[in-house]
Amino acid sequence: MIERIATGCVGLDEILNGGIPANTITVIMGAPGTGKTIVAEEIAFRNATEKKPALYLTTLSEPLEKFIFHGQRYSFFDPQKVGKSVIFEDLGMMVRKAGVEKLAEVVADLITKYKPAFLFIDSFKGLNELLQTSVERRTVIFDMATLLTAYECTTFLIGEYAEAMTTDLPEFAIADVVLNLMKHSTNVREQRFLRVEKLRGSSSIPGMHAFSITNDGIEMYPRLLSPSVAPTYQPKVERVNSGIIGLDEMIDRGFWRGSTTLVAGPSGSGKTIMALSFMKEGALRGEPGIYVGFQENPSQTARIMQNLGWNANELLGSGNFELMYRSPVEMQLDSVAAEIFQRVRGGKAKRVVIDAIGDLERCSMERQRFADFMYALTQWFAVENITCMMTAEVRELFEVRHISDEQISNMSDNLVLLGFTTGQEMKRTIRIIKTRGSTHDNRQHLLEINDKGAVVKKLA
Amino acid sequence: MSITDSDGAELPASHQRALILVVERNPVVQRLERYFLEQAGYTVEFAADGKNALERARELRPRIVVTEIMVPALDGLSLCRLLKSDPLTAHARILIFSHLHAEDRAREVGADAFLLKPISEEILINTVERLIASPSRNPSVEETRND
Repeated sequence: MIERIATGCVGLDEILNGGIPANTITVIMGAPGTGKTIVAEEIAFRNATEKKPALYLTTLSEPLEKFIFHGQRYSFFDPQKVGKSVIFEDLGMMVRKAGVEKLAEVVADLITKYKPAFLFIDSFKGLNELLQTSVERRTVIFDMATLLTAYECTTFLIGEYAEAMTTDLPEFAIADVVLNLMKHSTNVREQRFLRVEKLRGSSSIPGMHAFSITNDGIEMYPRLLSPSVAPTYQPKVERVNSGIIGLDEMIDRGFWRGSTTLVAGPSGSGKTIMALSFMKEGALRGEPGIYVGFQENPSQTARIMQNLGWNANELLGSGNFELMYRSPVEMQLDSVAAEIFQRVRGGKAKRVVIDAIGDLERCSMERQRFADFMYALTQWFAVENITCMMTAEVRELFEVRHISDEQISNMSDNLVLLGFTTGQEMKRTIRIIKTRGSTHDNRQHLLEINDKGAVVKKLA
Repeated sequence: MSITDSDGAELPASHQRALILVVERNPVVQRLERYFLEQAGYTVEFAADGKNALERARELRPRIVVTEIMVPALDGLSLCRLLKSDPLTAHARILIFSHLHAEDRAREVGADAFLLKPISEEILINTVERLIASPSRNPSVEETRND
């Protein structure tokens, strides 16, 4: 059983299958400004104790004072720990005096002086650049590897390494773990990602994981993975009232618990009202729900509820109707999933609404990644027996030719299509396209919005 | 006259200036081991390979031999067997100190203790102190793991 060091960075330990293996060498690589030093300092401050101190060695990339100055912006940076359990030293200056070829000896002397349980060299690449030839480089790195493997210490080598360097530089050969931090810019949006390039002797969650830097440090959102094998669970043979008057009888007494329903329709067709009605029904029945919205903020959502004649304060204060608003600007796909999971687990939610999936799709960098994400999310809901309603906007007002991404509609258990009648008076319409494992009325009916919410008026 | 450590504290009579022969090929690791053992009040000598260690053990008669298994010329386990069978060196307590999980093999060759690397100063010094303090030459190997 490998002993692991919990990094203390939110989400990173889950990605690393429990943390960094103890007494190993980790390279933290990435372009300038990707967050390498913040990750390293957070690990140092969250793990160091006076019995197990962290030795943070700065080199030639930035003066020691800058590390201290910038580090103090984060809540994990406890000034009381500096000099006691987190010791900063200027390795760059020592190496300049002794000669870079004596690097391992200088570090060995620092180890005997401070006896660190955690060792950080930032930037290690800066030292590497002082070595003139590849032979020199390999010899010094070999000595460092021997030293760091012999002594009981978990080491982090930080550097502005590009991906092309991972095959050439010897530090990547000696590393047990390689964490690659990167930034991706699309138009005016910028997203940060981490990828585990190497984790010797252990598995990790593959792929790129979004992360953000907050005042509290790093917050990582482990990539939502599609299950490689179908999850085994016992689906509940239980119907869930939709909250839309007249709809349940069209779908054999309601949706199956744990099913996902996609409500698609053009702008103004009643998608949000249907979703709110679904949530309200759950709240009144004592089934906690989470309404994940991207367009209307909580005040706007409450106003919609008030306009329907509902007591928004009472509903929202009941504890059964939780609003989770996220601005679609700068949103990261996996951060939404992470927050939904956290809230579902914390509040034992039975219903979830996502209004609308198009906002999620726009923050995904790849179309296939979005489809995989949605598949994994709906599978997770099914296993957790959470009944989900998602809304999707369609472009056509009258004759709908295209409902969302077909992969998304395929992975939904139920598909409800909203629309409008043509003619002088535009009336809202509703039609059930699909219900998995149920019979349904597939005729088109009218959908009215009144003080009861969304109401199906059957056409003769 | 009492013997004191570098801080002036008196050392226990049982290991005042006890000589420890360490078999370790890497100079940087030697540097660490020398520091930790000397700080604890021992005299430290090094051999960089197994054959040299055998010669030095016959010459120096150390109280303890600390050896890696994977050392050149003569591996640490063979060295242990030879030291234990030679009347000149049989008195020496032997600590096998290795990255290799080889507790059973260490016991088979008569080692007095086994420690798994990486080096934990506290565990290393505690083990050495136990070996120094232990009067018997009971061949049952002590096993200590850092985990």
